[in-house]
Amino acid sequence: MNSSHTIRSIQDNIALVIKGKAHVIEMAVVCLLARGHLLLEDVPGVGKTTLAHSLARSLDCSFKRIQFTSDLLPSDIVGVSMFNRQKQGFEFIPGPIFANVVLADEINRTTPKTQSSLLEAMSEAQISVDNQTHLLEQPFMVIATQNPSEYHGTFPLPESQLDRFLMRLCIGYPTVEEERKVLDRPYSLHPAEALDAVLSAQEVLALQARVDQVHMEESLTDYLLAIVQATRQSELLSLGVSTRGALGLSKAAKALAVVRGRDYCLPDDIKELAPIVLSHRVMLNRTHGMRTQSFEHAERMVLDIVDTVPVPV
Amino acid sequence: MPFNQAFALSSILLATVAFSGLVLGQSVPLWLALPTTIIITISILHAYGVGFIRRAVTQVTVSPTLLNGLLVGAFIILLIDLIAVSQDLLPAGIHFLVVLLGVKLLTLQQRRDYRHLYAISLMAILASAALTSEAWYVPVFLLYLLAAVWTLLLYHVTQETGETTSSVSPLSTSACHTTFPVCITRRFFWLTNGTAVLTVALTLAIFFLIPRMGAGVLQKTSGEALRTTGFSDRVDLGTIGSVKQDPQIVMRVEMPDQTAVNKIRLYLRGLAYDQYNGQSWSHSGTRRRSLSLVAEGTFLVPPAGSYPPDSLSGPIRQDIMLETLDTEVLFAAPLAELVRGEFLTVQDDVMGGLRLPAPPSSRIRYSVTSREPQLAPDDQTASTLVYPDSVRAHYLQVPEGSQLVAELAHRVSHEAMTPFARTKVIQQHLLENYGYSLDADTATLSHPLEEFLFTRKTGYCEHYATAMVVMLRTIGIPARLVTGFLATEWNEYGGYFTVRQRDAHAWVEVYFPRSGWVTMDPTPTVIAAVAPSRWEPLGRFGESIRLQWDRLFIHYSAKDQLAVVHGVRESGDVMREKGSRWISALSAPIGQLFKRLTEIARTFEPGLPELVAGGIVVGLALFILMVRDRIALWATTHLPTSHAQLAIVQLYARMLRTVERQGVSKPSSVTASEFARLVEREWEAGAPIVATITALYHQGRFSRTPLTPEDLSRAAEQVGQLQSLTRVAR
Repeated sequence: MNSSHTIRSIQDNIALVIKGKAHVIEMAVVCLLARGHLLLEDVPGVGKTTLAHSLARSLDCSFKRIQFTSDLLPSDIVGVSMFNRQKQGFEFIPGPIFANVVLADEINRTTPKTQSSLLEAMSEAQISVDNQTHLLEQPFMVIATQNPSEYHGTFPLPESQLDRFLMRLCIGYPTVEEERKVLDRPYSLHPAEALDAVLSAQEVLALQARVDQVHMEESLTDYLLAIVQATRQSELLSLGVSTRGALGLSKAAKALAVVRGRDYCLPDDIKELAPIVLSHRVMLNRTHGMRTQSFEHAERMVLDIVDTVPVPV
Repeated sequence: MPFNQAFALSSILLATVAFSGLVLGQSVPLWLALPTTIIITISILHAYGVGFIRRAVTQVTVSPTLLNGLLVGAFIILLIDLIAVSQDLLPAGIHFLVVLLGVKLLTLQQRRDYRHLYAISLMAILASAALTSEAWYVPVFLLYLLAAVWTLLLYHVTQETGETTSSVSPLSTSACHTTFPVCITRRFFWLTNGTAVLTVALTLAIFFLIPRMGAGVLQKTSGEALRTTGFSDRVDLGTIGSVKQDPQIVMRVEMPDQTAVNKIRLYLRGLAYDQYNGQSWSHSGTRRRSLSLVAEGTFLVPPAGSYPPDSLSGPIRQDIMLETLDTEVLFAAPLAELVRGEFLTVQDDVMGGLRLPAPPSSRIRYSVTSREPQLAPDDQTASTLVYPDSVRAHYLQVPEGSQLVAELAHRVSHEAMTPFARTKVIQQHLLENYGYSLDADTATLSHPLEEFLFTRKTGYCEHYATAMVVMLRTIGIPARLVTGFLATEWNEYGGYFTVRQRDAHAWVEVYFPRSGWVTMDPTPTVIAAVAPSRWEPLGRFGESIRLQWDRLFIHYSAKDQLAVVHGVRESGDVMREKGSRWISALSAPIGQLFKRLTEIARTFEPGLPELVAGGIVVGLALFILMVRDRIALWATTHLPTSHAQLAIVQLYARMLRTVERQGVSKPSSVTASEFARLVEREWEAGAPIVATITALYHQGRFSRTPLTPEDLSRAAEQVGQLQSLTRVAR
């Protein structure tokens, strides 16, 4: 099957549920193809979970959902070793993390301890319990949702955790027309449940392999690095982008090229992705009296910085 | 370093070199040099991106009206300078040039400003070339050449990429390697500058070392020799007049010890004459001696006569460049001691005239060291002088029927007590009572001297000199007539006298027993017919440039080349001697190795395996030779920066320039597709074409496969369409 057609079909599939958010859907697909993890951050009730759900549904893969609460424990996520009487030994019972797509709902409602249990899984795609390492199945993608940090009862994610998300997306309110479409839908069933899978795990892996083949011209690498450098040197930021961030931006740009039907990157890919991929990795110098930085603010800073870097001609 | 920065810096450097040329030439006064230096420093710092300067400069905005006012003011000052202060075009012009330079440096913004700056610095370096003939100019000029090559190169490159210097974003200096052709790598720098240096060096080497292959096609034929009068064995009185208005240059006389020389006038002696028959002068003794050769090309002139003068002036050295004349006489200040030149022989006669065996066929150079006899105090005060017989025999002859002249001489000098005083009185009489005129063609008259002395009372040098000689002789003082040139035109730029045909002159030498032959001139100083014009220094200055050019380039001959080669070889000998010691130390083991190899080769008996191996090697070599073009082709098509990629980037840059003319310019941080959308909003007509070119650009610039030639030509076609579209729009 033609790859651009495949990608088109998955976007269309999600669009059946999420009305009028084509860009967000596209980015979610980019994240999937770049083997990244997605952090959805917005006010409650704009479709974060629905987006994650419908993306997972569109793939013919295993899907688990973990609702993060303040009393959730690490073992509730990764699994636990139990004594098996028949075998007279400990047996590992895999937790919900052992799935292709994991939805970590309201991730910032749980304690940092539990949040950290995701770390190894997200970066190495493996889990270590009781000196045993268990590989996770590929493709593996964590989609986390969180409420903006100033809301009550939240534990902000530590920087190390944030850095492991490839993108942070904000969905935003739909327009009136789009909202009307949502309301006009028959109410009986959760719309995501009705979706059919359009992509097999094998196809996803093939697409991911295709991303690695995308050509990034030397000057574009330079451009990307210049942006990263600029975030480190900027007076506006107290923490710049990590090397993992640079790597992520490169991967995401390649994935976006595939989604847009190219086998080479353009400066636009990098420029467009920079705020989404970088803004949650930086720390602002001045947070304007807020406890933590706001999403829009960080994005605007990154945009400003990108605007100072000349594009290769 | 980013291109734009390097470009600005090298442009300023170019101006700085030109300016320092002027300063070194001491033609810029301190009050002007100081502010200009400050301006240069500021602009260098600015171009270098020193933070506080950059901030300060961006805060200060100069309005164009103010600048124009400044320039008009500077021009008015130039006029005042020209009329009142310097009173000379060249210094005043240079002052104005420096002011212009400063103003331009402060307002470097558009490409036009850069072009102006180049023009100004070119004029400055030319002006400083005109002002000097010293050695420091050579490194300055070479530096200027280098800077110019480099700057023009950058200018061209920046123009090609369509980068405007004004749109350098503050970050681009730190993120030097972010944009494709906007950065100067070390390799690029050394490659271009190395090429420039190599070219200059090669040209010089060829010029100085490679032998001349015969005459050039366009070389001016040497033509006829200049006709001179007054230097043959017989001189009719009244023939010099015809050349007295001829401005053709006869020779140039450099005075290496300038301090020792009175720069107002220099007598260049040709020949002396002792016999006057009433109408013409001739020599009595035509015997010539060959001068003794004391060193290669150096001839010693023996003291004339057997009574050497008591005291002589210090040595006066003259380097003379003589144009091709029709006479074999060598001119020199009176009394020549040493003659240096590329001659086989030089002859002199008893009266101290120097000659070659035959008139030279080309322009010649020679140098003479002379010492002028000083008038001894004894000779001035003695009331009677005793002259040796040989002098009396030759130098007291007067033509028959000179009674009138003798009477005049006695009448004029009867009150003077000493021979010296009489001489002076007669000279004074001639200076005061006779008028200078060139309309005195007396050559056909039977008694030209009497005509001059008693009838016309006007004449020129020959008449005066003849009159003085004859008058002196009638009262018993030995004297003789000398012809030559009187150099008065000092070229202050080149440091030499220019001698023209019209400077031909005749004067008198008077004999004093203790002093020898003393030069005296009874001709009044001619007041020039035309007042010296303001342009005259400029003319002199052009003349001096022409001389330098002539000497260093046009008449740089095979002989000069030989001299250089000799010099190179001599220094090379020293080097070689050092080198040979090294080599001998090294060569012994290498020689042994070779011996071993030849040994093996001699005893080598090829068997089948060796033959096969050799065949394979030869076959492989042949194969590589045959397919190397294909390999090269493969290599070029697989290079990341292929020609196609460069071509599309250039086309895209041209498109940007075209669109910019329409008023839509691309900020450096805007991507190509964003720019295409911008064009869609701002200039609807051009948008489809821009979109097409952008798509091709994307594919050609960033994808792995280069554009096909068809694609490239399509892109070029689209750019052409866009250009015609802007023309229609305008």
